[in-house]
Amino acid sequence: MVSREPLKTGTKADIETVTENVTNTDVDISKTTSQSTISVRNFKNLPAYFPTRKIWVENLDTEETNRLGIINLHPEIFGARPRIDIIWQNIVWQRNYKYINYKCLPAKHEIQRSTRKPWPQKGTGRARHGTKRSPLFIGGVKTHGPRGPRTHFYMLQVLQRVHGLCSSLSIKLAQDDLHVVNNLEIPVNDPSYLLNLVETRKWGPSVLFVDVDDIMPENISIAADSIKHINLMPVYGLNCYSILKYTTLVLTLNAVERIEEKLLEQFYGPYVRNRKFRTSQV
Amino acid sequence: MESDTQSYMANIGINRILVHILNKWQPLIQTKRFRYWEDIRKTRLVRRHGYKDEYFPNGMLPRINDGKRIKELPIYRPKDSWSVKKASFGQNDYIDILGNGKLHPARIAYNVPSWLKTFRGNEYTMLLRKTKMLDRGIFPLIHPTKWSKMKSRIDWLWYHLNYRRKIY
Repeated sequence: MVSREPLKTGTKADIETVTENVTNTDVDISKTTSQSTISVRNFKNLPAYFPTRKIWVENLDTEETNRLGIINLHPEIFGARPRIDIIWQNIVWQRNYKYINYKCLPAKHEIQRSTRKPWPQKGTGRARHGTKRSPLFIGGVKTHGPRGPRTHFYMLQVLQRVHGLCSSLSIKLAQDDLHVVNNLEIPVNDPSYLLNLVETRKWGPSVLFVDVDDIMPENISIAADSIKHINLMPVYGLNCYSILKYTTLVLTLNAVERIEEKLLEQFYGPYVRNRKFRTSQV
Repeated sequence: MESDTQSYMANIGINRILVHILNKWQPLIQTKRFRYWEDIRKTRLVRRHGYKDEYFPNGMLPRINDGKRIKELPIYRPKDSWSVKKASFGQNDYIDILGNGKLHPARIAYNVPSWLKTFRGNEYTMLLRKTKMLDRGIFPLIHPTKWSKMKSRIDWLWYHLNYRRKIY
């Protein structure tokens, strides 16, 4: 799947817009408008014998969907083999690598208690003890207790994480939960508009809108602010966990390009010999 | 013979009437109980005065309302699975791949102390790393007790790991 060809200049996939009516018989033409176009995107690194995936470009101007055209997607990213095991590894890594258990119980020398012998060794009829800090006493030390902040940090391999992203995106597309829009402009900043839009298009309860920049359009930012399960995210924040958590993933055209550019750079970019994580590299 | 038969039939008729009367008639039964314990209770000798019987003798009941709080399951409150923390969990974990290449996910844990970032190990290595990184700072001056206890813990751990373990 991954070939080590050096990347030529201009990794961004060129978009060549061909204005013609949609004549694909596989899709429902009745809902298309007269403005609908096919955008043929020429990929630099297109593997042979892998057909490109196709997806409608929709709009957010109206509540009902208005299909603007079809674009083709790179098969290695949006049509990859759904490796559930790799996705599982990614999710486990995401949960663990930032997790720190701060629980700490005092050691024997850290307990604030007298070190005096509690009672004489002989003559009292009681059991012999040397200190009240021992684990036999209440308030004493806990044997093999948790000590110190315990980290669970490790870095998953870069290519494993790239494949995790590709697999989860491909699964979303195959399950018809991935949508592409031209931009994130909506006419009003009313949350009910966004809720109605999601309901009429049957995009599921939770939606994640992804755009290139982290400064989003004003209307959709205000509208999505009060809805907990509809959120916005820049491309650099995209991850496997969120892709799986949200039922629907909505990408803008620019976001699709950026994702393909960044992920293809990992496959076809300059060859890095040792990708193992070192602390000095960050 | 005729007289015998007539008397016989007459006897049968009398018996029938008698049986009928006996079935209908019931004697008037008036019971009068002598409730001796009512009189006894007034003059009863009270033994073990002040003794509170811990048993509840009045029948089968699950519990007595004695004013104590009854242990019960807490009220179900559904957790908000779309809080900001949960809705944005995992954001920027792939920033080294999808970002501009300047940031690494190991560096975006801003709430984690510096001596714990990108670290994984046991208590001894953690404390060694902590002492190395905080040695030149202000930590030993403002937390002298914590610093000395940490040092002694490192010494103890070194001794334990090197001499007090089964190393086959």
